[in-house]
Amino acid sequence: MSETAKLVELNEVSIARTARAEPVLDRFSLSIAEGETVVLLGERSSGKDSVLRLIERTLARENEVTGTIVYRGQPEKAVRSGKRPLRVAHLPSPSARPLSPDAKVSSQLVRVIARNLSVPRASARAEFKAALGRLAGAPPFETFENKPGEIDTVSLAWALLATAMAQTPELVLADHATGDLGPTPARALTRALTAEQKRLGFALLYAANQINVAGWLDGRIVVMRAGRVVEEGSYERLASPSAAHSYTMTMFRTVAKLSGEKPLRTIARGEALLRVQGLDLTAKAAKDERRAMREGITFELRRGAALALVGEEGSGRRALARAVLGLDRPPVGRVVLDAVDLSVLSETMIARLRRRMTFITGADDALDPRMTLWDTVDEPLRAHLKLSRDMVAGHRESALKRVGLASYHGSTPVSALPAFDKRRLQVARAMVSAPLLAVIDEPLRGLDAFAQALLRELLTDFRAQEGPAFLVITSDFSVAQALADEAMVLKDRHVIERGPIHEILRAPKEAATRALIDAVAPPAPTPLPKAEAEG
Amino acid sequence: MSVEALAPPRVAAMRLRAVLRALGWVGLAVTGVAVALSDFLAQQPAGRQGAGPVLVPPSPQFVFGTDLLGRDVLSETLHGLDVTVENALIATGIAILAGGLLGYAAARLPAVPRAVLRWIAGVLSAVPTLLLALLIIAMVSREFAALAAGLAAAPLAFVRAFDRARADEMSTHAEYARATGISPATLFRRDLIYEFRNNFLETAARALAAVAITLSTASFLGFASVPPHRDLGLMIAASRASYLTAWWTAAFPALALLLLILFARLAAGLDEGERP
Repeated sequence: MSETAKLVELNEVSIARTARAEPVLDRFSLSIAEGETVVLLGERSSGKDSVLRLIERTLARENEVTGTIVYRGQPEKAVRSGKRPLRVAHLPSPSARPLSPDAKVSSQLVRVIARNLSVPRASARAEFKAALGRLAGAPPFETFENKPGEIDTVSLAWALLATAMAQTPELVLADHATGDLGPTPARALTRALTAEQKRLGFALLYAANQINVAGWLDGRIVVMRAGRVVEEGSYERLASPSAAHSYTMTMFRTVAKLSGEKPLRTIARGEALLRVQGLDLTAKAAKDERRAMREGITFELRRGAALALVGEEGSGRRALARAVLGLDRPPVGRVVLDAVDLSVLSETMIARLRRRMTFITGADDALDPRMTLWDTVDEPLRAHLKLSRDMVAGHRESALKRVGLASYHGSTPVSALPAFDKRRLQVARAMVSAPLLAVIDEPLRGLDAFAQALLRELLTDFRAQEGPAFLVITSDFSVAQALADEAMVLKDRHVIERGPIHEILRAPKEAATRALIDAVAPPAPTPLPKAEAEG
Repeated sequence: MSVEALAPPRVAAMRLRAVLRALGWVGLAVTGVAVALSDFLAQQPAGRQGAGPVLVPPSPQFVFGTDLLGRDVLSETLHGLDVTVENALIATGIAILAGGLLGYAAARLPAVPRAVLRWIAGVLSAVPTLLLALLIIAMVSREFAALAAGLAAAPLAFVRAFDRARADEMSTHAEYARATGISPATLFRRDLIYEFRNNFLETAARALAAVAITLSTASFLGFASVPPHRDLGLMIAASRASYLTAWWTAAFPALALLLLILFARLAAGLDEGERP
């Protein structure tokens, strides 16, 4: 690395905020060489986002910064005005909603390219098209002639990547660029980013909270905690138990691993709780109902059992879950919950039946932001069970203790909670409603490694203690294996494979299933150089 | 080395907005006190002619001067403010009940009646509030000007509340609540409570500004306030003959009206001040 010219150097940089006692960054040093890949890996509030903003020069005014920043050997002086010393491209997460909802995606991104390259819009448009064309797997340009709300998150991620590449940057600052996507698109995007890096030779600084992404990028990983560097090194060294710092070891241990071994727990064999018969998710109205039912999705979920619906976005898993929850009425097929056919019930009766179900989702806006912490947990108790105030308080306190939110003041609004605490609050709310069936939709989406491990444990504990049946919707086989016993793999709104998860993992029959498994498999191990392994 | 921020100063803008809003509420509170004590603060009873010589300019004896009939403009302005605020509060209450509350409830109706009601309210809200108010006054009586102003403002309040309620109903958190067995009635009650808690004061302030403008304009045109209970609009209308030679006869009532509307709009966050 010392042979290559340094692009950016941060020396002993500290960032303090008036509203915060602890520094955001504490004597942080980092150097990035030309063409190098550096991954900042850490939990939420570890300071990695501030490093990106500092280099990008978009830190908020409230931050007091000390230390030195050197761009290509030149100490930075005028940081508030003038031209940027490097061609820096920003690659944000599509889930951060970086675009205005009121204008076309293409026109917004073309404007960014035109401004940063100082070229006319027509040229920027051509650059954007060309960049899209070079990315294997990216949607066509026409997809982006829509507003952000009209296209899916994965497509938006491709558009953002193409925009960054079109700027022919010297340095790309990626801010959890694939963090909230499913493993398959995340891996495809990472591959495309790496291929472009080889072609254009830019340096990459990637802030990640997921270890898999750090492994795929194959660069130098800087583990951060509370604004400091814990340690740095290659993926292989950090993943090796003998070579890593205890914090890093704990972090790497949190990664769920796929296993083809038969689990110790037994698959529930009780009475059927949920029966889905001939559900056709492909057509709005089938002409031949009998035939459609024969070809539709049919499965049964027993009391206390756990089934994962595994598939990519658009595979039909969410439509299936909505039908099970009674939110949508399927045109063909039946959903029978606890021996009651949902299709013959009125809206009011379905609402009553849903009291026996709960829903846990990875959407951060699922809880009403206006409600307080206590109200959120109390609501199902008050609405369903008409309990006395003391009993409600007892159930609430017990649930909040179990999920680790008891230290919050009860009047804290949901809007003030971080994403992980919102998920835990959903679990607490689910616990107090003592459901027969829990529909769990991508519960770990967007969380860091530690938070994912904790939430997995919470959900496993919830199932063990309360015994609800789990219907898990995910694109991640590691989540499926952690929370369920059996899986149904969906593609194009059809079931392509089903069975016990360990058997599917051991011998997947379909290529699409194999692709889903490969997407979460850890990066291929490469042997460590002897010196590094010893050190 | 110190690196300074490049991000827009959003915090400063939010603080300024909060300060302006607080200023609006303080202004409304002061106006409320002035209205409550108007009989005590005014040196002359309402409509008392010949309290002094005609058209005396502002002086220590007559702080706001006198008008064409020798009425004390300060006393008349205080009484006029009292009448204006009283009528505006009645009209605000009607606009919120007949518009906001109904709009919120209508958003939860089945699709067809919901769409029909929204369409009717949309059409009515396209008609200027003043014209609607004049039409209702013509159908009933000038005595019911406050009712007319409230009903005229109701369609706009209906549309606003309806759209907000629909956004609430279509939100992810509403769907999550439905998926966890919360009934539509509980969900409606929850939304209504939060709507009242979070938006009532702002909505009321916005409606107050809008109906104060409507009522004063109707009075100015001679369709609302009935002497001797003159409101500020009627006072300004009465000073048309003397305004060019005696500015104080119109300027002080106009200033009182301006401050009332300004404070109400500031309290509402200066957001679409015309819309109740």
